[in-house]
Amino acid sequence: MALIDLVVEKIVKIPLESKDKPDVLRELVQILKDAGEIDDFDAVLKAVQDREDKQSTGLQDSIAVPHCKTTVVSSLKLAIGIAPQGIDFDSIDGKPSKLFFLLLASPDLSGPHVEALAEIAKLAGSKAFCKALVNADNAREVVELMKGE
Amino acid sequence: MSNPIKKIMVYIDGTEQSVTAAQYAICLASSSGAELIAHYVINTRAAEDLLKARIFLKDEQVEYEHDMEADAERYLNYVNELAMKKGLSIIKKRSKGNVHKEIVDAVNEDEIDLLVIGELSRIRSRRDELYDETERAMRTVPCSVLVVKDEERVWEMYESLT
Repeated sequence: MALIDLVVEKIVKIPLESKDKPDVLRELVQILKDAGEIDDFDAVLKAVQDREDKQSTGLQDSIAVPHCKTTVVSSLKLAIGIAPQGIDFDSIDGKPSKLFFLLLASPDLSGPHVEALAEIAKLAGSKAFCKALVNADNAREVVELMKGE
Repeated sequence: MSNPIKKIMVYIDGTEQSVTAAQYAICLASSSGAELIAHYVINTRAAEDLLKARIFLKDEQVEYEHDMEADAERYLNYVNELAMKKGLSIIKKRSKGNVHKEIVDAVNEDEIDLLVIGELSRIRSRRDELYDETERAMRTVPCSVLVVKDEERVWEMYESLT
């Protein structure tokens, strides 16, 4: 399944309400729970937190890509959260993160997982596009931007 | 006229769509007598890019590449089993690197007449970043490409193959 197939309004939240990193991770996982994409909130959150404990996935230019493999999902799961105000996420440039892509995958889907992460990395390379996402008014606008509508 | 399709390659990437494509390719090879090659590309290029982008740790890159190796083995074996059930033997092919480039190279090297791939996303993004690797391969291979759709119908076709 292509990344674009995962982008629907119910997995997008703007603005995020969290003020710090632990809360952002919880809020992103909650998006998937509320969307009916996952059942075991605690197992997913632990897997995401365990990966973040190794090294933050907060990149430069206000982007963060928390991700992990977990057996509690059977397909790729994406959540997009946007915090226009910025949240401290221990990013490599020390700046607050504004655009969050949470990606989960089953361990036996490593190929599609890597390709989806690579697509996110390519999107993150476009500063103008990321700025447009951060300035979006609502989830529908984010979906339209992602699909180039 | 002799059969114009002597060599078929089906691209396997671990998705349900690619397994459906394999079932269709088995039916096609069985009825045409063409040789069937199942090809899985371990996307080491993307894993390297993710390390450079600092999305992956070095350990993570190595772990994912091992996982992809295991996936390749598992999915190619599965396709082989699907073919054997229908009395067909296939050639399993595994390579590493940039997916669409590896597919194009394999099509050229093996002189493939037809590339069979799974259904592509029905959503057409205008963003270049969201073209997936299979779509890129479809656009760049020199041979004809068959995009397999309708999982249920293909399953019935495969099941009815004697």
